[in-house]
Amino acid sequence: MVAVDIIFAPIVFSALVYFLTRGAQHLTKYIALGWFVVLFIIALNWYHQLPVDGGFLFLGNFLSVPQFGFELTLQIDALSVAMLLLTAALLILVVLTSWNEKKQAAYFSLLIMFSGPIFGVFMTTNVLWFFMFWELTLVPMLFLVGIWGAEERIYAAIKFFIYTHVFAMFMFVGFYLLYKQTGYWDLTLIKETALATPALIWWLMFLGFAAKLPVFPFHTWLPDAHVQAPSSISVLLAGVLLKMGAYGLIRFTVELMPITTLEFAKYMLIFGLITTFFAGMLAIYEKHIKKMVAYSSISHMGLVVVAISTMTYDGLSAALFEMIGHALVISPLFLIAGWLHHKTHTWYMDEMGGIMKKAPYAAAIFILAGMAALGLPGTMGFVGELTIIVSAVKAYGWWIAIIALAGMISAGYIIWAVRRAIHGPMSPIVEKADFSMSFAERLALAIYAVLIVYFGINPQPIFDLANQAFSFLGGM
Amino acid sequence: MSFIVLIAAGLLVPIFYKNNIVIAKLIAVIAFIMAAYFIFAGQSLGSLFPYFVADDATRLMEFVLLVTLAAVSLALTGFERPLIAQMLFLAGASVAFLETNNFFIYIVLFEVIAIISYILVANIRNFYNAEGAIKAFIAGAVASGIILLGFALFSFSTDSFDYASMNIAGKYTLIAVAIMLAGIFYKLTVVPMHGWAADAYSQVNHAAAAILSGVIKSVVLFATFKAFYKFLVAYPLATVLIFSFFAILTMTLANFMALWQKRVSKILAYSSIAHSGYALIPFAAAASVYSYAGVLYYAVAYIFMQTSVFLILNDLRRELGVKYLEDIKGLYKKAPLHSFIFTIQLFSLAGIPLLAGFLSKAVAFYAGVDAGLWWVVLIALLNSALAVGYYVWIIKHIYFDEPKGNEVIQMSTGSLIGQLILLAGTLYFGIVAGDIFNATISF
Repeated sequence: MVAVDIIFAPIVFSALVYFLTRGAQHLTKYIALGWFVVLFIIALNWYHQLPVDGGFLFLGNFLSVPQFGFELTLQIDALSVAMLLLTAALLILVVLTSWNEKKQAAYFSLLIMFSGPIFGVFMTTNVLWFFMFWELTLVPMLFLVGIWGAEERIYAAIKFFIYTHVFAMFMFVGFYLLYKQTGYWDLTLIKETALATPALIWWLMFLGFAAKLPVFPFHTWLPDAHVQAPSSISVLLAGVLLKMGAYGLIRFTVELMPITTLEFAKYMLIFGLITTFFAGMLAIYEKHIKKMVAYSSISHMGLVVVAISTMTYDGLSAALFEMIGHALVISPLFLIAGWLHHKTHTWYMDEMGGIMKKAPYAAAIFILAGMAALGLPGTMGFVGELTIIVSAVKAYGWWIAIIALAGMISAGYIIWAVRRAIHGPMSPIVEKADFSMSFAERLALAIYAVLIVYFGINPQPIFDLANQAFSFLGGM
Repeated sequence: MSFIVLIAAGLLVPIFYKNNIVIAKLIAVIAFIMAAYFIFAGQSLGSLFPYFVADDATRLMEFVLLVTLAAVSLALTGFERPLIAQMLFLAGASVAFLETNNFFIYIVLFEVIAIISYILVANIRNFYNAEGAIKAFIAGAVASGIILLGFALFSFSTDSFDYASMNIAGKYTLIAVAIMLAGIFYKLTVVPMHGWAADAYSQVNHAAAAILSGVIKSVVLFATFKAFYKFLVAYPLATVLIFSFFAILTMTLANFMALWQKRVSKILAYSSIAHSGYALIPFAAAASVYSYAGVLYYAVAYIFMQTSVFLILNDLRRELGVKYLEDIKGLYKKAPLHSFIFTIQLFSLAGIPLLAGFLSKAVAFYAGVDAGLWWVVLIALLNSALAVGYYVWIIKHIYFDEPKGNEVIQMSTGSLIGQLILLAGTLYFGIVAGDIFNATISF
């Protein structure tokens, strides 16, 4: 029963938490923190219960409607557990980094509400329920971006909501056709060979995931949403919501429809490559610090798509590693970019400069995370990018090594950003600003830094999970 | 029995209007509960009269109808007291309308409900009310004429009006059904017969609009599907063409019209028209086994959401004078409870999961996919996704903008109970689909 409770309880009780703690706003964050720690512990517990030979850990069936195949089937495998652990960890860190947020009761209630559907997305194998949770994650995000965001928050929130909602509809038609042609909503029961129009279904589903990832022509919602969102919510958007797209891509294309995916892998590869390079170029061009980080985020997700498109054990392991690595690396970048804006009231790197002298702690973490983003050995970024390049070369031949150029492009924008914003002569804006940072924020940034370096030196735990998750592809 | 109870209560209630509205409300609610009990106990009209049969799906629809009307009557205030008796009559007529299995009685009761709806909208207090009421009346009269024309033509070719044994292979059947559908489309506010609805729904008293756009439309939707099911299956090509065409036309046009409205009530009116478009998809997919469940689910979900939003708007109009989008800026500070429930119901209308609006669309549209109309369903889904634009726009005004004044209003107890009943319906049917499928299993 725990499984279904941790999905529905937060959705139901978040409203209650809000109305109860409206009088004592400072209490809500402790409730949220406690709840997310509980979620993390539960996820950790499931991690230890996972069957060692891969496959699913069955958690229960609920709300069964046999006539429509409509059933909340909860089962998790190593891939889901990896995502659940990441989500819970990021939620805890998000509470820390938004310790002094305005209107706390509403903010943290919405975060609690968000934790329900996002766990549901990773836990259910029923396609209809997957879609329902997928859509439901948008609602708290709409309010979090729309109420606590920056100047253009309303435009960004509504654009984000409608854009991803519209593309999800393509995906939903794909899901409908899956059910129509196989008679099952359950992922583990659908057989690809039973499908009459696999190509149509594949493309419809790919559109939905591509908009979420986001892949090149469908990415325009992301810079707006990520920039206007409060930094902690940018962390959730980049760290969790984009991962839903990658998770869906692995689950619904590679695992569910391997034959069709093999046929269309080349298009996936092209989309991934274009995304990587296009977003990287845009990041170089960008003067807006948070937009630069947002484009770098898109660029890294492009690499994940390239890795998924190889459809090999190596590629998918690399993709999983890069998904987690990207979440941990991009988060401090977003946080510090937002924090710098909060302190200096400017978004533009040209107007910053000399931050290292005034705020050495934040600047050091920014540089560390930036180095991880460009793939410095000893950080998570290096392991992720290296494994992706190796797996891609194995799958496609030597020419694919051009994606190493992506690393050079990221070196370009990161180092230039560090040069402009962090080092250089101190600008008058920075001179005047007060760079105090709360203990909770320092703690959260330190945790990010430790994780980036720890998994950079010792990536084995994540690859163990990947080993369990993708053992069906042969393993190493 | 339920029919008699409702009509008797409807005759009894006006006596208490002048002195004590609470007693009138109480009588109405007791009558609704008793009627629901009789339906539950299986004492349908069929046990007293021929031509009436209640299957499980009909009983569920009646049950939902009575619950909704009970919630509405609780939420009414003194000004709207004439509505109580009208709702009781409406409930009686609707119960009969839903249960009948005779085409002749269907037509007669269709007229009865139309006449009740004219009286509903005749609660006139200003020029705008009058304009809406007149439009509703004239459009309704035209619709009645067209339906009767079609029905007259149809009666040439059949020797029985029983739903099951009608002769539908006649020479004039297709054209007669087409003409009748044209009239019924007026009531279902299908484009291009929607013009009156946009004005009537938004300009008559909002409580009457709640009943007109929520309750009556759902009832007509469900009963029409039952009445025309045999035709829809017998003429598959015409069915697919007519209903797909009008579904797409209705939802697309209504959604685009809704996007640039400034009156809240007008947005809701166009949203109601767009929902008629979505509801036509299971009609087009009548060949699918899911079509009956789809129509039932859509009617059930729609009745809760649409009634609820118009009732809240009625409260806001009365307490805060809300007319335009500017008036609801920062509403979450002025009326937190209204805003909260309004938002949930709007999300339900928009088709956000865990609310009835999503699951009803999921089932109704699946019927379309099941019948092979996946491209129609794709257009419908894209439409419903774009429709989020104006629903979120209302929510944006409520939550993201700052209020102008600083008055704070409370929800009255009756209104709160009524809204909670409707909210419970929206949430229940958003998660539990079993009842709908169990009810339609026999069809």
